Amino acid sequence: MSTNTQDEHRLVERLVAGDRAAFEQLYRKNNAAMVRMCTGFVRNHATAEELVQETWIAVLKNIGSFEGRSSLAGWIYTILLNKARSRLKRDGRQVSFDESGEDNGLQAAFDGRGRWKDIPELWEELTPERVVAGRSVLEHVNAAIEALPSAQRAVLILRGQQGMDAAEVCAILNINEGNMRVLLHRARLALRIALDRLQ
Amino acid sequence: MLSCKDVTERASDLIDGNLSAWDVLQMRLHLAMCKGCDAFIGQLRMTRDVTRSVAEAETRQSADAADIEAILCQLHESKQGDG
Repeated sequence: MSTNTQDEHRLVERLVAGDRAAFEQLYRKNNAAMVRMCTGFVRNHATAEELVQETWIAVLKNIGSFEGRSSLAGWIYTILLNKARSRLKRDGRQVSFDESGEDNGLQAAFDGRGRWKDIPELWEELTPERVVAGRSVLEHVNAAIEALPSAQRAVLILRGQQGMDAAEVCAILNINEGNMRVLLHRARLALRIALDRLQ
Repeated sequence: MLSCKDVTERASDLIDGNLSAWDVLQMRLHLAMCKGCDAFIGQLRMTRDVTRSVAEAETRQSADAADIEAILCQLHESKQGDG
């Protein structure tokens, strides 16, 4: 059993035992990302917050039946997506899995032979540490993530931020791996433009 | 020989280790000769790392105790309703 699996197993045991600190740990790791992802699907922040809260209740209520066939995060995000689908179906809508965003900001970057018109330059000022230290930079990055089309946003959050296994991301979002890679790439290209504005 | 446009299209696959050895070699050859693409790959790596860092920073922020309390209260009520 890997260390991550062991840690997760222990976390599940603590959740089953009603350990509040364990729930807080899980909540802190996932809540903001869940709201951000769900807002992309339901297109309403308040509804997303409500669905995420319902998801947490379902998670805590059913944690005893979690069998570990997926990761704990995979299980949680699947519950969230099912709740979003149910709510939208009830309202006569469907989950918005918007895959637009074909314009990746590079359309006009090349000449007819595929060479750069304006050569990109190294970012001297930007480091992950600076992003974390500066609240305004953090907010800038989060705003850029929230501006992504829902499908790109979901893949970026699950794969690029939560570090979920590729196959699990594909299963949750019902997409194939090639599609997932394209969505992740497009999301990064959009964020790259947002970060470039900070230079 | 890959064009700069080709390199940008394969950039995420390169930094995520999804390319074959042959494709990696072609990319490396291009990057050795092209400052622009080399900088672009650096920017995309930074974008990937910053994206992760943002999530990690959020994890370190303390959770809103009131929000957690609200969830636990609703859980309690829900369990009572079931019982």
